[in-house]
This record gives sequence, C-alpha cells and structure tokens, in this order.
Amino acid sequence: MPSLELPLVLVAILAGTLAVTSASRGAWVAIALLAATSSALEFSLSDPNHTGLVLRISAIGIGLIAALPDGLLEPEALRRDLALRTIFNTLREHPVVVASAAAGLLLGLVPLALPIESSSGALRAAGVALLVVGLPPLLTSRFIEATTRAAVVTLAGTLLLRTSIFGSLDPFTALAVAAGFACILVVGGSVASRISKAEEQ
Amino acid sequence: MTVEIALTVIRALFPVLMALSSLAIIPLIRFWRGRQHDDGATYATFGVQLLLLTTSAGAVLAGAGYISTLRIGQVTIDPSEPGRLLVVLGGIVFAVIVGAGEGRRASTMGQIALFGLAAIDLALAIPSGIAPIALLLFASLAISGAAASGKDDIGRARAVFRDLRTVSLLLPAVVIAEILRTAISYAATDATYATPASLAAGTALAVSLVVIVAAGIFPFHNRLIRIFEALPIVGSLLVGVWIPSALALIVMSELSTLASSITDPLGGAIVPGILLAGSATLIFGAVSALLHDDIGEIVGFIAVGNAGWLALASAAALQSPTDTSSRLIVLPGILTISLFGLWLVSVRRRYGTTSISELGGWVWRTSANGIVLAAAIIALAALPPGAVLAARLNLLILDGNPLVAVFAIAGQLLLTAAAVRLLLVGFTPASQAVHEAETRPLINLITIPLIAGALFTAAAAAGWLALESGGTGPLPPAPIVSPATSFAPAPSAEPSVSNSPAVSPEVSPSGSGEISPAP
Repeated sequence: MPSLELPLVLVAILAGTLAVTSASRGAWVAIALLAATSSALEFSLSDPNHTGLVLRISAIGIGLIAALPDGLLEPEALRRDLALRTIFNTLREHPVVVASAAAGLLLGLVPLALPIESSSGALRAAGVALLVVGLPPLLTSRFIEATTRAAVVTLAGTLLLRTSIFGSLDPFTALAVAAGFACILVVGGSVASRISKAEEQ
Repeated sequence: MTVEIALTVIRALFPVLMALSSLAIIPLIRFWRGRQHDDGATYATFGVQLLLLTTSAGAVLAGAGYISTLRIGQVTIDPSEPGRLLVVLGGIVFAVIVGAGEGRRASTMGQIALFGLAAIDLALAIPSGIAPIALLLFASLAISGAAASGKDDIGRARAVFRDLRTVSLLLPAVVIAEILRTAISYAATDATYATPASLAAGTALAVSLVVIVAAGIFPFHNRLIRIFEALPIVGSLLVGVWIPSALALIVMSELSTLASSITDPLGGAIVPGILLAGSATLIFGAVSALLHDDIGEIVGFIAVGNAGWLALASAAALQSPTDTSSRLIVLPGILTISLFGLWLVSVRRRYGTTSISELGGWVWRTSANGIVLAAAIIALAALPPGAVLAARLNLLILDGNPLVAVFAIAGQLLLTAAAVRLLLVGFTPASQAVHEAETRPLINLITIPLIAGALFTAAAAAGWLALESGGTGPLPPAPIVSPATSFAPAPSAEPSVSNSPAVSPEVSPSGSGEISPAP
C-alpha cells in the first residue's frame, strides 16, 4: 500500500487543480476523481473497516448525480474534453493555479513546527496543496458551479491535512462529513440550476 | 435488541426519529386528505404541528432524568441539557409559527423545523471533536437549501449560495483551531514552539470565527440580513438564529476550557477584538432597525443586535471561564427573535405587505398580533428585571470595559425603541392595506395558540420561567497526535498529549433548571 500513496497524492492534486480550472465537463470528472483519491488517502485502503471510505464515496457519488448539469455525459464530448491535449492546454492556460498547487505541495512537504512535524508528509502535502488551490476560487468566484467545486476541493484538502495529523475521522464525524459533501453538491447544483433558470426568464 | 436498549435508542434519538417519521407521515396525510377532501395541506400542517409538539414533549421526558445515553461503537449519544431545552422550546415555538404561517408550504416548513431541531439536539448530544460543529454547519446549509426550494426566486438562491460559501470556509477554520489547540501542549513542554498564550489566541480566533460568521456579527452582519430578507421565516430563524446559537454554546464551552488551560493572558488582542465586534454589532443592528422601513429587514436587524450579545458572551467566556452567565443569555435571545419572527409571519400573512408605511393601524385590526409584539418587546427588554437581565449585566461586568458596556446598553435601548416603533405604527390611523385586509375573530383555532405560544415564549425569554441552559460542556480533547493510519507510518509524537497542560478548572455547567441533565 505505501507504494500507492505518492501516485494517489499526485492524482488528487492534479484532479483538484483541474476541478477549479477546467470547463464544466472536465471539472466534474476531476471532482469525481478527486473524491475517489482523497477518500482512499484519508481512509486507509488496508484498513479492514471500510465504512468511512464507503460512506464518503457513496455520499459524493449521490451528490454528483444530483449536481451534474444535463448533457454532461455525452461520450463524444467527454472524450474530447478529457483528451490529454485538452488537459495540458487547460493547465497551461492557468499557470498561477498550477504554480499554487506546486507551491502548496512543496510547502506541505516541509516539516513545520507544531504537531504537524509528526504527521504523514504525503497526506499533509496533498492537504496543503488542495487548500491552496481551492480557497481562492471559493472566496472570489461568482459562478455557483465553480464555487461548489472549489468548496469540495477545499474540504477535501482540509480533511487530508487533518488526517495527516490526527488520523482518520471517527465514524460519526465521517458520517457527518460525508453528508456534508453530498449536501454541498446537491445544494450547489440546485442553486445553480435555479439561478440559470431565473436568468433565462 | 432488548426493550431497554430500544427505549434508550428512542430516548436518545427522539427528535431525529420524529423528524424521520415526518417523511412518511406528512405525505401520507396529504395523500389521504388530498384525494378525498382537497384539504391535504391543512391537515398536513396539523400533522406537522402535532409532530413538533410531540418532539417537544418527548424531549421533556428524555431530558428529565432518564438514562438516555446511547453507545453505538465508539460514538456516545448523550442528550445534553441545553440541547433538550432547545428542542422543548423549539417544538412549541415552531408549531405556533407554522400554524400562523398557514399556506401550502406550511407543512414543509414544519418538517424543516423538525430536522433543524433534530440536528441541534444531535450535535449537542455528541460533543466530540469537530463532529458537532460540522453537523450544525452542514445542517444549516441543507436547511437553507430546503427552505429556499419550491420557488424560483433569484434572491433566495443567492442567499443559499452565500451560505454554501460560508459553511465551506468555516470548517477549515475549525480544523485549524483543532490543530492549534493540540499544539498548545507542545508549547508548554518545548520552548522552541510558539508560546501557549499565542497558540491559544490563534485557537480562540479560529473558533470564535465560527460564531462571528454564522451568527452574523459585525462585519459579517450582511449574511443575516440577506437570510431574513430572502428565506421563509422558519428557515431564517433556524439558519440565522437557532443553529448559530447552538454553535455559540459549543464555542463558548470551548473558549472557557481554552482560557482556563493557560496561565498567561491571551495574546493577539482577541478579547478586545471580539468586544469591539459585539458592541459595534449591537449599535449597528439597533440603528439600522430604527432607520429601515421593511418589517422583514427590521426583524433581521434586531437579530443582528442579538448576535452582538453572543459576541460579548464569547468574550466573557474567555475573560472568566468559570462564570456561566455567558451561556445563560443564549436561550432568551433565541426565543426573543423567534417571537419577532412569529409576529412577522403573522402580520405578513394577514396584510400581504412588509412596509411600515402600509401597516398603519394594524393593532386595531389584529389585536392578537399586537399581543405577540408586546410579548416580544417584553422579552427583548427582559422585563421585569430578573435572571436574564442580571446575566446580561454580569456579562458587561465580566467584559470589564466601560465603553463596551455603554455601547451595549445604548444598543439594547435602541433595539427596544425600534421594536416599540413597530408597535406604535399599529396605533396610527388604519392604512388602505390594513383596512381592506380580511381578519378573523379573536377566538379561533389559530389565534388562541398564537397568543398562548407567544406568552409562554416571552415568559421563558424574559426569565419568568426557570429555564436554564448551561452549555454543552467542553469539547473533548482532540485525538492524540498519532501518525496517519494509512500508508507509511510517520515518526511517533514524543509527548503524550493532554490538552489541558496547565490549570484546568471545571467549567461548571448550570445544573439547575426545569430539565435536569441526563446522567
């Protein structure tokens, strides 16, 4: 399992970066990927009790199903938007976000003072990188879908940072947080559709 | 499962069970009455009122000395005194508000109230780590989303959007507080760390931020105003007043523990900052309430003024950790604003307008609403002087700043003046809207509970009934600093962490009250 940690961390950071930079389709797929990887990092896969992991993934899955805009899963468009060239271009068009993610990753790897120095380096790096990537759009974006995705990225980062220091969440907190993820996605999706409907009228 | 365990589950989770049962009962009532008699909405409203009152009654029983502690694995669900008190009173208050609101969506609003109270009860029953705060924050978001649904109103949608952003920002603040709090013990044993006082100040700032933002304390007052403008009154009260107050109870307990765990004065000008925010909020809320013309906005600004007291109480919890006055003012504040909400929904329903200029003479036409507003004013002023007024004055003494005390007293007087202004408008000559409105006789099925509920709530809010709420007890210490459970083990932490390295006097919860804490 330890060999999987670094790839998962890198995928989570890449997915988080894409979630706040891509256009709609790529961003939602990135959110799904981020949810899967950050949950796998947060709740150990080798742990025999997978309740927290299952809860988190199902909650985010339900939230995503409710929040996804119509026509998002057209295979042809998906293939086009998820092509490597498109992803590369997206990252190239947002150098500040990419630089923030890299800076967050490096900052997280430095064993700072406080209890942080005894924490898991890779999880801490992923947490800090996701926080650095997610917080700016969460604070400033005027678009509801983008803010919803930024909220998920920020929360995932916060929880990874917490896990790196305190370990996995207890079952009740895991349940509350899983419900929270679903709630953010469902409420964000419903608000976005309501506002766009009102603006169309 | 034995009968004892089943009873324990019912007692511990009663509000949650009632909220969940409403998901089946209310649609069944609608289906039953809607098909044959076309009065499904009315009966659904009665049904949800009954569920709210049953929740209230159940909370009285479960909070009155029965063993309600439930253990599910490592999770302990132990109904707390303030949690059950909020449910007891909330059940009654929201049953009356839902009745006064009438309308097609009244039963939905009642269900939202049921879930809101259940979330508050559960959060205050499980004071472990970040779970209660996370539960309350997410419940707040879910409630604002649910309350705003059913109407394609862009203002409502934007209010929910703001809430989504707020909630998503507050949880990281709580986690930062948790991390900083854990570091305090390191600072006490290792000189190379920051000082305990500065770390405690950081923790206090992060934790206080939760109350400051959620309750709408200056400079975050705008959130509360938008909530009262945009959401239906049940949603506004839960998201803007009830849930922030429950959060405040948790935060105040946490601040008390924090302040008592360090020997040096708290650094970072945290206390003066919170005091300044509190007094500014009181004055701002009161002056704005006096200057505005829309009764929805005026009630929103009165709620902002009440939030100022929460800030002053938080500062007092830091200044005097052992004094429980700070937690005694939370419940009266909730009830007072709820009374204003009850009046607002009742007047808006009757006259279809929210502008003061169009409400001249409303008292003559609907004297029951006059009684409700008079009760709200008495609750706001906490008259005649009793426990609530004494607790407020004690807070000002504990805060120890004469200027803040002067501002707070001035703010409270101006808030009362703003409320009296609403009443006086009712005695002016009747406006067109009031004159043409259809009224009902004083003695009927909606007005009698309205008056009785308002008087009961005012009595509780003004301190005539011996109701006390003493906080949830401190959050238990954060988990020991251990390597992450997944993947590569990190080096083990050296000191065995206990979060109260120095003195740790007991934060004495109020014990006495009509509802005694569960053993």
